Amino acid sequence: MQYMLLIYENEEIFGGPEKSGPIMAEVGPKHFAFIGEMGAARLGGAGLKGTAFATTVRTESGQQTIHDGPFAETKEQLGGYYLIDVPDLDAAIALARKVPLGRDGAIEIRPLIPMPPGMTR
Amino acid sequence: MSQKALEDAFREAGGRIVAALAARFRDLDIAEEAFAEACSRAAKAWPVSGPPDAPSAWLYRTAERAALDLVRRRQVRQTLVPDPPEPEPTAEELMSADSAIIPEERLRLIFVCCHPAVAPDSRAALTLRLVCGLEIAEIARAFLTNDIALQQRLVRAKRKIREAGVSFEVPGPEHWPERLGAVLSTLEVAYSKAHEDAAGSGRHAGFAAEMLALTALLATMMPDEAEVQALAAIVRFAEARRPARRAADGAMIPLSEQDPARWSAELIAEARRYCGRALSIGSPAPRILNMMIHALWCGRRSLEEPPPWKAVLSAYDLLAGLQDNPIVTINRAVALAEVEGPEAALAAIAGLEPARFATFLPYQALVGDLLARTGDVEGARAAFDRALALGPGEAEALYIAARREALSGA
Repeated sequence: MQYMLLIYENEEIFGGPEKSGPIMAEVGPKHFAFIGEMGAARLGGAGLKGTAFATTVRTESGQQTIHDGPFAETKEQLGGYYLIDVPDLDAAIALARKVPLGRDGAIEIRPLIPMPPGMTR
Repeated sequence: MSQKALEDAFREAGGRIVAALAARFRDLDIAEEAFAEACSRAAKAWPVSGPPDAPSAWLYRTAERAALDLVRRRQVRQTLVPDPPEPEPTAEELMSADSAIIPEERLRLIFVCCHPAVAPDSRAALTLRLVCGLEIAEIARAFLTNDIALQQRLVRAKRKIREAGVSFEVPGPEHWPERLGAVLSTLEVAYSKAHEDAAGSGRHAGFAAEMLALTALLATMMPDEAEVQALAAIVRFAEARRPARRAADGAMIPLSEQDPARWSAELIAEARRYCGRALSIGSPAPRILNMMIHALWCGRRSLEEPPPWKAVLSAYDLLAGLQDNPIVTINRAVALAEVEGPEAALAAIAGLEPARFATFLPYQALVGDLLARTGDVEGARAAFDRALALGPGEAEALYIAARREALSGA
């Protein structure tokens, strides 16, 4: 079986949306240790920059709009994810627009915190 | 060299230099900081040694060196930052004719500032700051906020642009329908701020001058986009009327009572060229109809000639069919009152929920005007009081107060 581990934390303790504060310095190395521990079980993963840097493509009755900010609704739930590597936000938005949806919904685009070389997988 | 001459040189060159640096270094903060550094060096050097022959080129070269320093320092701090892009054309090449920074650089910056991933209320402020080089205090005043709040808003927007990876390329024409919409409405907001704010003080005339320049630039870059041409026309039609907008006592003069002899014939002629271009491309967009309404008004030659209310009403009828927008409903009602009478206008705005528009000045001013004309003195006075309580600009406040005074039995 494959599983996705979703990490939910109060982002404010990480010292701003870049997440460069002392807590990050404390938790970051623990993640690297954990990555080692997971070994081949880990297929991928990364930290996300804060919601202040989120962009959301919302679809309502077939109409798509782009917003500054994170997904902020309670009537929809996380139903899946794609990890993409594209040159810039416009390219990410272009793909986000094409993500198939059953009806209405939103695709939140969050930039990843860059990983040191060799640890991206 | 006087302080004012320095400031003029900085402002004149600022937009182009910040744009060129931002495009080259792909970083808004570096561009801004580097330009500020160049200005402060100029403020020290020029009064002593005299201004250089080509002040913009001097500022650009100095700012470019400062930007390279900033990039280097940043790289030392954080090793994860990618290398700066390869040096593109040199300052000399870019600035050989003092005012010749490639217009694309500014266009690029406009698209960055007006990206839909940037919060809408930040786009206009960011454009005015980076592309037009306005001071924080000037923008804060126009947006009815304080310097600190505006500064924070700009910082947030710039960080979002950097961290989310907003592209510094002008999007391809296939993306223009959406991206251009954001650019045009941002410039419209920026201009309407300028228009409101500039009613009196001369200092803010630069605001409008920059809008004339930017819309002209966009129109040159995108000659086949009807709405771009229309915006260039709208800004000119509106600007042409500026000299006639206030009475000797400072009170606002409504459009239909302005003396066309005081409008700028030169700007109207320019506006008509853009207007003709927009119409020849053809587009059913609301912005085209808005332009036509401006054109109708600016076609009036004297106060003796009757105002074009009927034609204006027809244009608003078309506009109301295109978009369900309360501002259109209110403006249409103004025309309707003149053509069919205040009762018809009151019926037309009956569908607008009063609670939703309690704090909307044009609504309260219109209700006051219509009730006054139907003889409802009490209702009119209450509406004018509500309008005045909203803290309108000085010119509007004087006008509304005068209308309130003129109510019989007041």
